[in-house]
Order: sequence, then C-alpha cells, then structure tokens
Amino acid sequence: MNHRSWAGLALAAPALAIVAVFFIGPMAMSAVLAFRGKDGGFTLDHFAKAFEFYSNDLLFSAAIVVLSTITIGVVAIAIAGYLTLGEHPRTLAILRWLYRWPLFIPFIVTAQVMRTFLAKNGLLNHVLIGGGLIDPLQAQSLLDWRGIVIAFVWKQAPFVTLLVAGAMASIDRQHIEAARNLGANRLRVLFGIVLPQARRTLMVGLVLSFVTMLSVLSVPMMINPNSPTMLTVDIAYRINSHGDYAVANALCLMSLALASLGAWFYLREAARKAERS
Amino acid sequence: MRLFRTTLFTALVAVGGALGTAIPAAAQTTLNVVTAGDQNMVDYVNNFLGPRFEKLNPGVKVRAVGTGPGDAGSQKIYEKLSAQQKAGTAAWDTDVAVVHQRGAATMVKENLLAPYRNEVAAGKLVSRDSAKNALGQNVDGYVIPMFHSQIAFAYNPDVVKQPPTSYAELAEWVKKNPKQFGYNGVKGGMSGVGFVMGWVSANSGMAEQLEKGPYDASKKAVIDRSLASLKDFNQYVVMTPGNAGTLDMLNRGEISMGPVWVDMFYTWVADGKMPPQIKLELPRPGLPGQPMYYVVPAKAANAALAKKFIDFAASPEVQAEGIVKQFNWYPGIDAQHVKAKMDEKSWNKLFTDISPESLASYGRPFPLSEYFTDILEGYERVVLK
Amino acid sequence: MSALSARPGIRWGDTVARVVVIALLAFAIFGPLANLVLWGFAERWYFPNKLPQEFGLTYWARVFAPRGSALASLWTSVGIACLTVMMSLAVAVPAGYALARLRLPARTLILLIFLLPQAVPNLPVYVNIARVFYELNLNGTVLGVVLVHAAHGLVLAVWIASAAFAAVDVSLEEAARNMGASAWRCWTTVTLPLALPGLIASAIFVFLESLDEFTGTYFVGVPDVTTMPLLMFNASMGGNYQIASITALLLLVPSIAFMLLVERFLKADVLAMIGR
Repeated sequence: MNHRSWAGLALAAPALAIVAVFFIGPMAMSAVLAFRGKDGGFTLDHFAKAFEFYSNDLLFSAAIVVLSTITIGVVAIAIAGYLTLGEHPRTLAILRWLYRWPLFIPFIVTAQVMRTFLAKNGLLNHVLIGGGLIDPLQAQSLLDWRGIVIAFVWKQAPFVTLLVAGAMASIDRQHIEAARNLGANRLRVLFGIVLPQARRTLMVGLVLSFVTMLSVLSVPMMINPNSPTMLTVDIAYRINSHGDYAVANALCLMSLALASLGAWFYLREAARKAERS
Repeated sequence: MRLFRTTLFTALVAVGGALGTAIPAAAQTTLNVVTAGDQNMVDYVNNFLGPRFEKLNPGVKVRAVGTGPGDAGSQKIYEKLSAQQKAGTAAWDTDVAVVHQRGAATMVKENLLAPYRNEVAAGKLVSRDSAKNALGQNVDGYVIPMFHSQIAFAYNPDVVKQPPTSYAELAEWVKKNPKQFGYNGVKGGMSGVGFVMGWVSANSGMAEQLEKGPYDASKKAVIDRSLASLKDFNQYVVMTPGNAGTLDMLNRGEISMGPVWVDMFYTWVADGKMPPQIKLELPRPGLPGQPMYYVVPAKAANAALAKKFIDFAASPEVQAEGIVKQFNWYPGIDAQHVKAKMDEKSWNKLFTDISPESLASYGRPFPLSEYFTDILEGYERVVLK
Repeated sequence: MSALSARPGIRWGDTVARVVVIALLAFAIFGPLANLVLWGFAERWYFPNKLPQEFGLTYWARVFAPRGSALASLWTSVGIACLTVMMSLAVAVPAGYALARLRLPARTLILLIFLLPQAVPNLPVYVNIARVFYELNLNGTVLGVVLVHAAHGLVLAVWIASAAFAAVDVSLEEAARNMGASAWRCWTTVTLPLALPGLIASAIFVFLESLDEFTGTYFVGVPDVTTMPLLMFNASMGGNYQIASITALLLLVPSIAFMLLVERFLKADVLAMIGR
C-alpha cells in the first residue's frame, strides 16, 4: 500500500468505524445464529427450512423490487428530463413543486395511506366511480402485489428524481443548446446527451431504492402480509410468532444476497470508473 | 459559507436547548412503564393510571412508552431486556412491562422477570388459569393480568341475518356468501392466528389436548388434515392485511364478517371507525383469548415502586373504573372483585353482544406453544402451498 | 411525457397534453395525501360514507395532551435529526472524497459496507444493536440515538458525496493548483463548492431518514429518549389512523422547513460565489 491509499483509508476511517461498530458488529453477532444448530455446531438446516417455506416469497420479493425499481427509473427520467429540457415556465414551476411531496412521507405512513386509498371501497375507486370512469361493480382492491409496487414507486420515485434532476442540472447547457440548434428533438437530447451524463447518479439512486425496498417491513406488512409476500414479513413472522432468530437470520442473509445482486450493477460500474481514473 | 456556518451554529444551540428541556430534571424518581399493545394502552397509563398513582406517591413520575401492537410489541420488550441481560447491565431501564402471553412465557423461561405476585395484595385476587400458565409455560407468581382480551367474530347484521354459530356453519355460509368473510392469515397478527387455532380445535377433535397437553409430535398429521379443509375454505374468503386490516375492511364495508380482538374492536367503535350496527359473536367450540400481563423485569431499577404501581393498577377500584368502565375491556383480576365495585349497568355493558356464559364456555386459551408452532407451520405447508 | 416530443406549431394539443399529464400526476401524489389529511380531522368515518361524517380536533387535543409530551418529542426528533446530519456529513465528506479521488484498497468492499445497514432487514439485528449500546453505556442517550441513525443514513451521505466529488472536473482543481493555490485552499475554494449541491441533497435525505426512524430509537433511546415517530409507529400499526395521520402531518413541518432552509442557503451561497 502506498502513501495515497493510507491517506484515503484514514479519511474514510471515521465513517467506516461508525458503521462497523454500530451495525456490522451486531449484524455479525446475529448472522452466526443462522449457522448454529441446537447443539451449538455448524449447520445449514436453517437455510434449508428457509428455502422450504419461503422460496416463493424470495422470488416474489425479487420480482416486486425489480419491477418497482424499473418503474421508479422510468418515472424519474421522465420528470427529471422534463425539468431539464422543458420550456414551459409555468409547467416547470408546478412540476418542481409537485413531485417532491412523497419524499417527506415516511414508509409506514405511505403504507397506511395506500391501504385506505387503494382498497376496494377506498378513495381511488370512489373518485373513479364518481368520475364515471369505471362501473361500481368493476371496482377492485389493489391491495396485493400491485399495492406494494404502487406504494414503493410513490415513495421512492421522488427520491431518485431529485438526485437525477440535480445531476442533469449540472450538465453544461452548451451541449444541449448545440444539439437543439442542430435540430435534435428533446427526446433525442434526453437519451443521447443528458441521460448518459446523469447515468451514474441514476444508478446510485436506483441501487439505494432497490436495497431499501428489500428491507422495508411496513409496506408489505400493511398492504399484503399474506402469501405470497415479501421476505421482511416472513422475518418478522419468524421472530414474533416463533421466536425463531435462526431462520429469521437465514432469511435476512438471503435478502442480503438479493440486495448484493442489485448493488453489484452499481459497484461494477463504480469499479470500472475507478480503474479509468 | 460564513452565513451558513453561523446559522448552523445557531441551530445547534437551539437544538441543544430543546434537548435540555426535553429531558426532565432528575430530582424525582421516574417509573418507566413499557407497554405492548395499542396506543390506547399508553394513553391509559399516561392519562389514567399515571396521575392517580403520582398523587398517591409524591415525587414519582410515571412515564409510559408503547412498543406497538401484537406479539411484535412484546417481542421488542423481550429483546430490550435480553440485551440488557447479555450486556450485564446492573439496573435495567424498564420498571414495569405489559406483555402478551407468548412474551411473558419467553421472559420467564430466560430468567428476565422477577416473581412478585405473592408480594402484592392484588396478587390474591387472581385465580384463573391464565394467571399461572401461559401457552404451557408456568408463569405462576410472575404475572398479574391487566385485562383479558378475546377474539370474536365481528359481523354486520344488515348482511349477516343469522350469524353462523359454529365452524361447520361458517364453512357453509362462506360458500353461499363468497368474499364476505375476511381474516388475516397467520403472518398479519394474532386475530388471524387465533382463527386458525380455533379452526384446528374444531376440526381436529383434539381441542382439549391442544390446550392442556400432553404434547405429542405425532399429531402433526391430524393437524395437517384439519388444515386441508381450511385451504378449501380460503377460496371463499378475503385475506385481510393484519388485525387492523380486518377492522379496516369492516369499516369500509368490504367484508361483513371477520375475527377481531374485542378490545381493539371497542377502540375502533370509540374512535368513530366502526359502523354502529356491527355486532360480536363467539362460535362453537370457541376462539382463543389471552390476558395482557403486568410483569416486573428481574433487575428493574425501581422494583419496589414497580410492585406498588402494579398493586394499584390491579386493585378492584382501578380495574372497575379504568379497565371496565373506560375501555369496556374484560377485567384482568377475578370478576367478582371488580363487579362488587361498580354499578350493574356499566358491568352489563361488557356483555352486550357476548353473554358471560358464552364467554365462559367459548372463550378458550391458546394452544400449548409446541402445538402452536405445529399449527402455524402446518398452515404454511398445507394451506399456503 | 408527450410534451417532450412536441414541436412548435401544434401549440394547442401541446397545452392540453401538458395539463392532462400534470393533473394526473397531481392526483397520483395528492390523492393518497388527501387520505392522510382527511383522517387527521375525521371524528367519524365509516361505510357507506365516502367522506368523514364528522370532522373535529378531538385527536389533535389527544396528541397535544400535556402528559403525551408530543411537542417535547417533536423537538427531540428535530434535534436528533440535525445532530445526525452534522455527524454524518462530518465523516461522510472525507470518506466520500477519498472514495471518489484517492486510490483505495478494496474500494468496492468499502462501498458495500456502507450499504449494509440500509440493505439488511434490521429486525433480527436490533437485539444485538441494543446489546452493543448497553455495553458501551450509550443506551438512553441522545448520542446513542444519533449514532444509530447515522449508521443508517451514512450510505446516503457517503455514496452521494462520493458521486458529487467524482463529478467535479479535475482540470479545474489542477488549474487552481497551477496558479499556486495550496491543496487546502484549492479544496475549500474549488472542490467543496462544486460538490456542495450534492452534499446538500444528501443532508436532506439523512435528515428525513433520521426523522422517520423509530425502531433504532426504540432499542437505543427508549425510555429516556422518545421521539415522535415512535408514537406514529404505534398508532399506525394499531390502525389508529387519526393519531398516525396527525403525527405524520406534524413531522411534515420540520421536514419541509429543513428542505426550504437548506435550499435557501444553497442559492445564497451560489449567488455569493458569482460576485467573487
């Protein structure tokens, strides 16, 4: 290791220390339980049980989170793109004011409002029926996988949008103007010029959303805790109904593996970038 | 940059000041009461028990904190006590805890509680079985029930003219009225779990053995068989999101019947969230119920004061005035002591929908913890697959 | 976003499309929020009524009941959130800079480590987090709660700070150094100001993260330190919509105030830079 790596490590050390002492340590203490049998020896039984009972929920979690992440990405690019390239001042002002609100609503409150909003006799259907858009008999509850995805997108899209809009705003306007003068329409400018430069920020936002959604309990718990459901609900259930920390920790590690898979996309990119510099 | 820094500094000072005032002066003793269950239990300690107890004991401040409803709330109390035990803390920060049966059983098993019932006068006023035994674990001496909670069917008589009185009738009824009955499975809280337990008790023919033992692992097959019919039943019902989710769907008229905790139900009525016509009913051979227990952690910092507090909270006067009159909850100590302290009318309000006889015969304990686990895992294997 | 591809000339259709899209977005955002506000003031609301039959302030009175100490816990929440932001930024700025600019061994691993608290479902871990805090005698202290919040919020601070520093054009720094600026001066006058928007964005997220946190607060703070989200959590899980909605509305105030405050300084700073 050279001088510069030591300097780098020293700068990162305080932050690392906080996470190591106050999270990684306790996590390791918990994670060993996933491998410890009744006799205290090493075992993979808890993982076998976790797979036997909850492999469906593992797939369900993965599907929900992937679908939500993609939707969040699309919404964020659309809004941030319009904020960067839009030309109608009043629309821009309204949009800027509008999109952020869910940012200030905690997950648990999001879950609660969605539970009453998306229900069969909830506000959404009342509005749709009142507006003559659907027939009362067509009203259906969205409190299943759709409700979870809607809640996640509603809560996380503004977060990613804020990040991406910030990154797009710092792009040199000259590039954009030049392309516009050459006759490129805004969609082409967005995907050809703006988005590539904001790509890294978009990835950061999406990866953070991806892993956060995997570890949130309140949204699946309050919208659809029945089978199939997300792993966090199963973890809570193993602990609260069975006092079973072993299988809970095994599920926790499975969820972590899923999260790492998502993070890998970002880290690969970050590593490539580091090599170039 | 300077402007930013100055403002940050000002903010910091303001924050420091606010924190200073937020933490009360240490001139008096603070009794920390940590309670699982709904917010109204925190309010009960804060607004009803607290002021009265403080008046009797000058210099004492009662501070109540809630940990959330259901077994999850009790589990959080258990985890905090267990953390202090493992860390070797000398004086624990919880003086009185209010927990469910499962939590109490685990805490007694892991030596997290102090035996205290025989040291307080109110301890002599409890004789029911659930004051000594929690899901098969002997908790005799460690607990005094705060109130008794019962699961029952809530139904809308406008839709359900003749509520089914047994599980067999219910199974018939849901086929004629699909998607009108809702319950919350096993992962969303205890009212759904209780319904599954009731179903197995009714359909396995081993109700007695589930509650009293002995435990027999070979009965798993019998349990699984009774659960197979539940899988069929589930096709005709709505799965609700949690204990509150069932009440929620009754509130919006999306279902017209479902199992609910009676105490939660009355809270929803009081909060204007339940159509007034909704009634309660207990089916044959019954649904489970359980008490919430007052317990004292093994190394509570203010153990003596904690016992005094529980003695006060479990006295017949307080049980009559607070638990029964204010909340319409079933009393924790033996009924005759409480009944003697109040007027007939308020007492009878407890039994508006469910008669004392029905409660006595169909209000059942939860199965032993081993059977409890077998039934839940059986449900996951047989019904959810 | 049909507006994106519109060309001048079809002005009218463009306007309609814009209004429709904005209206739909407004409904998607404020529809669920309307539920929150309605429940905050509903005294009575049940089937078959589509809206509350009775409005009132009973539950506001209950939240602000003197013994409930809602205001004190709201202040504690805000104070803890501010301290968490300060602590996170203090350690995240150097860490983010190092990750963006210096050659770090196991850089990917370090990035992943910061992600862990956010990525792992926390429920099975809290019992041991509490234990560690008890062993360090940090339980029941504001510092303890700030640390547990910071551990969770750091990924936002570090990752975003790192991205912000990475986005700063190295040639600008080199130019400053070539003109004789010291490393420190170059850092404070070129690098930091350019990375500031990103850092400020991360401050907002850390603030919100801390202000919404309840499980860590319970295990590390309670009973000595209680915050408003704890009340919100209890009420929400129990289906006590009125109390939960009111606490959520109350928590909106410091969240939005912090955002506005921070953005104001951001603008003031940027403007101040132009004159120099």
